[in-house]
Amino acid sequence: MSKAVKFIKNNLFLLAVVIAYLTITIIHPSLGALGIKNSGYYVKEMLMIMPVIFVLTALLDTWVPKETIIKFLGKEAKTKGVVLSFLLGSISAGPIYAAFPFCVMLHKKGASIRNIVIILSSWAVIKIPMLLNEAKFLGFKFMIVRWVITVIAILIFASITNKIVKDKDLPQGKAQEKSGVYINRDACMGCTICTKKYPQLFQMDRKKANVKEYSNLDMELLDSAIKSCPVKAIEYN
Amino acid sequence: MDIFTIAIWVITAGLLVLSFIKDKVKTKDALRKALFMGRGMALSIFGVIFAIGLILALLPPEQIADIIAKQNVFVATIAAAALGTVTLIPAFIAFPLIGTLATAGVGIMPSVAFLTTLTMVGVVTLPLEKREFGTKFAVTRNALSFIFAIVIAVIMGVIL
Repeated sequence: MSKAVKFIKNNLFLLAVVIAYLTITIIHPSLGALGIKNSGYYVKEMLMIMPVIFVLTALLDTWVPKETIIKFLGKEAKTKGVVLSFLLGSISAGPIYAAFPFCVMLHKKGASIRNIVIILSSWAVIKIPMLLNEAKFLGFKFMIVRWVITVIAILIFASITNKIVKDKDLPQGKAQEKSGVYINRDACMGCTICTKKYPQLFQMDRKKANVKEYSNLDMELLDSAIKSCPVKAIEYN
Repeated sequence: MDIFTIAIWVITAGLLVLSFIKDKVKTKDALRKALFMGRGMALSIFGVIFAIGLILALLPPEQIADIIAKQNVFVATIAAAALGTVTLIPAFIAFPLIGTLATAGVGIMPSVAFLTTLTMVGVVTLPLEKREFGTKFAVTRNALSFIFAIVIAVIMGVIL
């Protein structure tokens, strides 16, 4: 596939938007101009807040000791596990689909269904760096009230899910679970950190990380690469 | 700039300096993560923003508020929640968008319902979730999230 075709295929939505603008501008030039003007406001707001949100998210993701948190997520750790699940979800970086394989890994390590639902939901709605952004546009009171109610709601429906879904309902020992080092290429966003940490093992291939052929592993390097992957895409069995 | 934007810049700058003093390598890794998160999302974000701009040109916020005001508030809330499940808008675009709509007079219940399902219920990511967790888990979680999004919206409408 040529690069241009691939680019278009990956950005179909963007292309549709461009075509919509062209069509509307030809029929009704003032509407096209108004659309651009409206968009300008959101672009300005985005540029003011997006860089710091990403830096803040990445800093939290890097510094909060996740390995310690994960240890406390088991079924017996009741209140502590719930609080830590909220914390883990709200500080984690990466899109929600990166949370799925991460949570499957946690479940295998003993995290309960309840805690997994809490992590997924807080990953989605209560990102800490986003709270200030919410307060800016919708008011401080709105943000606090929504936060409190949402946390309570998540607690309730996590308990309900815990009653309905049993551990055995989750796929067991999937084919995906290969032995050795494995990279989930759906989650990988091509940040190249693993290839910097352990260049003998990881390389970039079509903008995503790949595992090279290997015979013996340096566990220390591998461990630091696994820990620093922002989307937890590296697995080792 | 408003106080919240300044606050988030100051907090982030402070943490960044602290992080740099403690560990240069870790800080560099964090910045690299931030850069790639941004790069991965940039193009699709521009697509979403310009689509919103065009939709708001064709259907001004005041008109949207008018249409919603004519409906039963619960019907509007459920419709907003349903719209949120199929829409992919990053949260930092969703907040100013909801801000625009609220200023134009869209009620709090439909706004909150949309905001909550937008991020918590994912029709687009459902196949992926099914593959990782099984159908029972994925369907239960998404259905409960949808119901509770409406509950959250109604409670917020009553309180605020």
